[in-house]
Amino acid sequence: MLGPVSVLPGERTVPRAALLARAWSLLGDGVAPLTNAAGRPLARTVKLILDPLVLRPVLNPGFAAGAVSGAHADDLVATITAAGPALRATAEWYLLVKRARRRAGITEGHPQDLYFQRCFELATTHGRPGADAERVAADVVEEVHAGASRLTAEDLRRYLTDPANAGELDRLLRAARHPVPDPARDPGPDPGVAAFLVSGDTAGFPALVAANAGSRGAAELAGPGVARGYGLSDRTVPVPPELGDRASKRDLPRPLDRSVLERLFTTVTGSDPAGLPALVRREIDRTGRAWQLGEEASRVTMVLGRDASAGLEHEPTSGAQRRLRSRWDREAYVHRVLRLPDPAAAGVPEALRADILGVRRAYLRRLWVRLHGREVRGGEVTADALWDLLDGVLRSVILDQRDRLRAALERLVAAR
Amino acid sequence: MTHPERTALLLARGATLHWDVLSDSASPTTTVHDPALAADWLDDDPDVLAAARTVAYVEWALAWWPASTVAGVPQLDRRLLRAEAAVAAAGIDHVLDEDTVTGTLWAARDAVPALAAVPGARAAGLAARLAELAEDNGIVLTEPAAPARADLALAAGGPPVGRDVVVLRGTSPVDWALVPQGVVDAAAHASWTVLRRDGSSVVEVSVPRAPGARRAGLAARFGPVEVALDLPAGDGPATGRAPVPDAVVLLPAGERTLTVYAPDFAVPDRLPDPDAPARRAAIVALARTRVGSPGATLAEYVAGA
Repeated sequence: MLGPVSVLPGERTVPRAALLARAWSLLGDGVAPLTNAAGRPLARTVKLILDPLVLRPVLNPGFAAGAVSGAHADDLVATITAAGPALRATAEWYLLVKRARRRAGITEGHPQDLYFQRCFELATTHGRPGADAERVAADVVEEVHAGASRLTAEDLRRYLTDPANAGELDRLLRAARHPVPDPARDPGPDPGVAAFLVSGDTAGFPALVAANAGSRGAAELAGPGVARGYGLSDRTVPVPPELGDRASKRDLPRPLDRSVLERLFTTVTGSDPAGLPALVRREIDRTGRAWQLGEEASRVTMVLGRDASAGLEHEPTSGAQRRLRSRWDREAYVHRVLRLPDPAAAGVPEALRADILGVRRAYLRRLWVRLHGREVRGGEVTADALWDLLDGVLRSVILDQRDRLRAALERLVAAR
Repeated sequence: MTHPERTALLLARGATLHWDVLSDSASPTTTVHDPALAADWLDDDPDVLAAARTVAYVEWALAWWPASTVAGVPQLDRRLLRAEAAVAAAGIDHVLDEDTVTGTLWAARDAVPALAAVPGARAAGLAARLAELAEDNGIVLTEPAAPARADLALAAGGPPVGRDVVVLRGTSPVDWALVPQGVVDAAAHASWTVLRRDGSSVVEVSVPRAPGARRAGLAARFGPVEVALDLPAGDGPATGRAPVPDAVVLLPAGERTLTVYAPDFAVPDRLPDPDAPARRAAIVALARTRVGSPGATLAEYVAGA
């Protein structure tokens, strides 16, 4: 089952996960709290501990995802084996921290997400838990859950509506309104976009960014009904946003119709309050740019997503379109297997029906929100993460629709 | 692809696994969508596949379990099913997409009282494991609210008496795809009667309910006529009546059919499926063999006991 697999001629490689499983099994029972019932490291153990803290593929490219070649395979196993004492100590710390959490009566958050990396840190600084371990564990829990210096949505609202700021922010917002590009002068799509759609090859992504293919592709949004057709606005032509004084997660407007407050309030929660003025100014700047996004890489991704998702509405004509379309077609069968409500039935809320019947609009909306959120948090889109993003957004839309259909089913069936 | 009614499906990382519940084969049909992701687990050992099948089978039972009084198939406790799926899913989290495990644990959050009511080590072990996994994933297991007993009103009216003359009567099976699981008896037929009363015609409809009936609004179509159905408290049949044109007796027999459906759940526009009777009979027969069987899921093992 763990035999070598030949991928490239002349090169013997082993699937990375199989190697991880083999190395993990050598660590023994001491890592049980980090292990699933199949004996594999938990998905979160891999994601939060092994990848970023032990294997570090950025520093060790031979350990990167996919298949690992023979020479690196032994290194990988040796690296995990060498980390064995730290991993076993991590497991011990995790049990203590979990107990401290229980004692403190804390129920929010995902414990593995919150504590796994802290426990590995404790393991590397303190080794195995010692005499003062209970106190250390309690401190960790307290520290993780102390929310004193975290930004809240209310801080943001107060900042935006404070008369001391509002005048200047309004001025900035008006100044940010760059002249609307004339659709008639649209130089047309960049040929690189079409090449990406056919081949799915993301190597040309930097060239598309350099050629401003994303900004060029936004010119059409000024045309009547275009942004609405993409699900990005409810208006015939989007208008520049306001600062805003209220926001609710439940009925957020379409992305381009959102106020500055509505754009930021879910994303900035929990960040450092000192960064607030800069966050707001960057957002104001974004509102005046093509696609209302700040980075050209994000705009190019919008253009690629727009074109790749066209196959959700029409017969797909390219590799990228077919890939998204096949995921969507599969979902219709999944709905029947799970005996979920027919989207056309009366018990399905109108908004959900619209999202299912107009999945491309739901897709482009979520893609925008993802790209925007990434910008606010300071991340950027890279060529190697591009397809995961474009495909991952559809996956996320589909899972969300499935959950909402399940919820509709729960509502319409009452247990006696 | 197998028919949805007989398909146990697992949406795994980079691939979909299908089992035909009517087949004895333990190995699934695998459709790979992302070879790089699926390579991480596709060659795993049989224990992993067994857990994967449990997760998929429970999803199937939640959707299609053919609870039926006439066929002697008790309804399953859905909380027990979900508890078993959550524990099985957590055991193979490397096979599943991120957050699938958290989702299954969330769905099982009210299973503790149901597990506590089942004697024996199997339920106790499941409860202990569920509690541990819930804690690791930040899910708070809840005590469910007492079930609402708001709808105790008795069904209005008794059977019609006196001057009725039965003109026509017949029965039709209920298409499973048009109603949620556990609402209508999966094996019994719905019946209809056309009566002449005081010079006009009415159709009366009666739809047998599943044991432990879950409630959902039901309606029926008889030829061109829409009939609203009332659900009495308890497991009694859903019934309704509606005026019909006298000419209904002149309809060809093929159009004098009754279609029962849940309007909030489905749209009754499906073509008849000639394979359905045999397939559904086989699924009911399968369910009968699973109830009380120690090798089945805990929910099936204890059902009807």
